[in-house]
Amino acid sequence: MELLLAKYNYWIYAVIMMIGLYAMLAKNNLIKKIIGMGIFQTGIIVFYVSIGAKRGGTIPIIEHGHGAEVHEVIKALDYVNPLPHVLMLTAIVVSVGTLGVALAIALRIYTEYNTLHEDEILEKIND
Amino acid sequence: MIWQIDIMILTLIVICGVFAISVKDLLGAAVVFGAYSFLMCLLWTEMGAVDVAFTEAAVGAGVSTVLFFAAVHRSSRQVKARVSGRLLYKWLGLVASGLMGGVLFYASTDFPDWADPASPASSHLSPHFITQTLTETSVPNIVTSVLADYRGFDTMFETAVVLTAGLAVLIILRLGGCRTAGPVREKSAAIQTAYKDSIIRFVTRMVVPFMQLFALYVIAHGHHSPGGGFQGGVILGASFILLAISYDLKMALNRINEKAALLLANTGVLIYAGIGFLCMLLGANFLDYSILHRILPATDEIAARSHAMLGVEIGVALTVMVIVMVIYNNIVSNGTYEKGL
Repeated sequence: MELLLAKYNYWIYAVIMMIGLYAMLAKNNLIKKIIGMGIFQTGIIVFYVSIGAKRGGTIPIIEHGHGAEVHEVIKALDYVNPLPHVLMLTAIVVSVGTLGVALAIALRIYTEYNTLHEDEILEKIND
Repeated sequence: MIWQIDIMILTLIVICGVFAISVKDLLGAAVVFGAYSFLMCLLWTEMGAVDVAFTEAAVGAGVSTVLFFAAVHRSSRQVKARVSGRLLYKWLGLVASGLMGGVLFYASTDFPDWADPASPASSHLSPHFITQTLTETSVPNIVTSVLADYRGFDTMFETAVVLTAGLAVLIILRLGGCRTAGPVREKSAAIQTAYKDSIIRFVTRMVVPFMQLFALYVIAHGHHSPGGGFQGGVILGASFILLAISYDLKMALNRINEKAALLLANTGVLIYAGIGFLCMLLGANFLDYSILHRILPATDEIAARSHAMLGVEIGVALTVMVIVMVIYNNIVSNGTYEKGL
């Protein structure tokens, strides 16, 4: 049980990345491949955010009020690690950019070959 | 950190992921992928990453799903059931992902335990950010201060990457087919003629101003609560996407046409880099905001960093808003700007 608790996040991120990689390699449909790419990206984000988690830590916003002076000393152990959050926040926004480019390429392929299936596209290219 | 919820959500995520790639209908797959993103959003909140959860809710579950709908609408939603000669790819995929999974599982035995407060990632740089943010920058949201100040250089290039992605979509879809037709300028027909979707249109008309007001609040209040330029920008862009879906594409393009959109996107990156160069002009390093207290009235070095972060966030929001719109408009109309969803 202790092992499960300590490593479950890291096992699941590996499983999510496996699902994504399998979809990118083995699926025939281009949109399915793009969904696989999205799943692969979120796997990496799960890994990073899991690193940042801290037992007994709260969200990384320091308690404050209007005009109140901060008297207590801020302890690093009270807040979860904000650094992975920053990196992954920008990664999510960039992922919508890559998704847009990928879908645009898929649409161009569709207008050119009138199909989204890899085997038919390969056939039409080889003809 | 509630480990029961953690295990439950992670298990659901794997189930959703498997469904998303095995459903035989692309529209269904897009919906399952949206549900997957919402589960991710819960997971981030559970691990205390509220800013990441906010971004995931706006970007992953919101805009990404709409983009998938648009692309499926423009192509076809059918997936071929069984294809001969794909067995090799299937085995290749299984072997490759099995190998990668094996390596990752093996590596996970060396990781520090999940949520261990003494893990290396939490014991070197991040304590400085957590303990010094308030005294050095007067911004209580540590994620915002690290994003816009301590790692401001990083974020500037992320914004540039978003701009590049928007330009790439434009080049692929709008210029790729050598179409010469200019952007649509005529008055939208939808406003006069149609009463057919009047409930949806009425609700949209009521909701959009509040959405945009909320987005501005998210941008401006990112110093004190979850949120900031990226999230607010995506919400602003989503309000225009909502207009384009419930009315039609021309209506949204009449509000912000392509030329204005690209001008705004470039202005966003320019604001960010401009603040950096302003710091250099005043004699400090690139993006060292504390020097700006010389030109900002009634500020000291600490408050100057806080104000400059707001300026930077506004630049980020402008770029992200416009690029989200540009990507949607091009994908939904296949680069012609003629007919939307």
